[in-house]
Amino acid sequence: MPDFPIIDMDIHPRESRLFPLEPHIPEYAREALNQRLGGAPQNGYGNPTGSADRRDAVCVDPKQTAIDHLDRYNIAYAVIQPPGMTVALTNQIDVGNALAIAWNDWQIEHWLNADARYLGSICVNMRDPKAAVEEIKRCAKHPQMKQLCISGESDDLYGHRRYYPIYEAAAEHKLAITIHPGREGSLNSVTPIGRVSNYFEWHTLIPLTYQAHLVSLVAEGVFEKFPSLKFILCEGGIAWLCHTMWRMEKNFKGLRSTVPWLKRLPSEYIFDHIRLTTQPLEEPQKSEHLLQIFDMVKAEKTVCFATDFPHWDFDDPDRVFPKSMSDHLLRRIMYENSAETFGLPTLEETIRRKASVGATHASPAMAG
Amino acid sequence: MSEPTRLTQLIPTGYGNEDPAIAYAFRYVEEAKPPVSRSGQRFTVCHRDELKPGERRIVDDGKQGIGVFNVEGKFYAIKNVCPHAGAELCRGTIHATHKPSDVGEFAPAYHGRILRCPWHGWEFDVVSGKGLYDRNGRVATYVVEIDEAGNVVVVT
Repeated sequence: MPDFPIIDMDIHPRESRLFPLEPHIPEYAREALNQRLGGAPQNGYGNPTGSADRRDAVCVDPKQTAIDHLDRYNIAYAVIQPPGMTVALTNQIDVGNALAIAWNDWQIEHWLNADARYLGSICVNMRDPKAAVEEIKRCAKHPQMKQLCISGESDDLYGHRRYYPIYEAAAEHKLAITIHPGREGSLNSVTPIGRVSNYFEWHTLIPLTYQAHLVSLVAEGVFEKFPSLKFILCEGGIAWLCHTMWRMEKNFKGLRSTVPWLKRLPSEYIFDHIRLTTQPLEEPQKSEHLLQIFDMVKAEKTVCFATDFPHWDFDDPDRVFPKSMSDHLLRRIMYENSAETFGLPTLEETIRRKASVGATHASPAMAG
Repeated sequence: MSEPTRLTQLIPTGYGNEDPAIAYAFRYVEEAKPPVSRSGQRFTVCHRDELKPGERRIVDDGKQGIGVFNVEGKFYAIKNVCPHAGAELCRGTIHATHKPSDVGEFAPAYHGRILRCPWHGWEFDVVSGKGLYDRNGRVATYVVEIDEAGNVVVVT
């Protein structure tokens, strides 16, 4: 159980009657939505309970979530990964652009401005780099916007050069980029071979997408082109990285001449540019195996804690890690790696500030 | 209450002044420091006219052997063992390679002097002995002389 403030890299507010999305949709796109131009392909898989949420939790009201989640678990910062992460899948590109604007404004008005602990993700339409760059420039001004959030489902692997203008803008504005599962299996199958039959197979195989994007990002030279850029692989699991990294590195030793723009070893790019979030954390029968995995992926540098609140595969910060995990590793994973990725105050600074402000951390807006 | 110190930019990648591994490897190749004889043992390979440009011989040194290569008229000798898994390195094939370049560009170089191990294809520069695949990998290189009779002689 951590006795220090923690950072949660993944929470999922959704729209509701309380804070609907509709008022934030740009005027010019409202009629287009009426004319059914906002559709996007679905993957046909759904959680058997009818929703991805826990049955005992909901995340629709920033003030309530501040009590239910942030205060409850001593969370210093929580990163919103909004539903708008899949705007790129919208069939009509310009409507996708409008939805990106809507989700960003929705985040800012209702969540970021409600409590300084909420950090936001800029939704961008990966299919329209020009519009995406404009949206990055617009939203990066908000100090709580710390990253982009893009879906694992995509037209191309994320090492593709069509995305360079977006990466350039993200790097320029010191934003990380999170890849989050989003409708894998809608454009393409979630596997390279064929379609899976059910949500169980689908959810298990999401990491295939992550392996593909990771190898693409490293091998295509994205981190040579943009040396300050960081990608966060969210909700994709951790253990697969060992195998993929080792295989990539072994292959690189013989096949380097086919990727001559790489001036470092693949593992060096990974440790410097890739972060993984913990949830849903693997639960091997022997908990020491998990700690061995953490050692193999240099978790003290690469792994960042997340709850995925309020989803069904939520990880409880007080229970999820083995008791044998060292205090040092706990602090690195549950606060410091995330803080360093986003340029947030150090753990000592946060503890000092909490002590001076008092029990409740209130934003200037609420205090005023 | 003062504003907490804020890190104003993402933590830099940690590269700092550190030399990228592959860039370092290719500088080593470029420098091509000549080999040095240590033990003074001499192994005669063949007459120079019998080892034409592009050809090689493996000479028995009582151990794993030494590969002797003619690269554009000059002779080079390297140990016949791949540091990766012990394969007979000098039974591999000779190629060109790509030097480190910008993303999307190809800079072909070192035609005729890059030896790929016959097993996993790891690249070695026959001239400098340097492995092109990481910072430290290399094979031992040996002095090659031409004696008065015109024979190619490896001096270890």
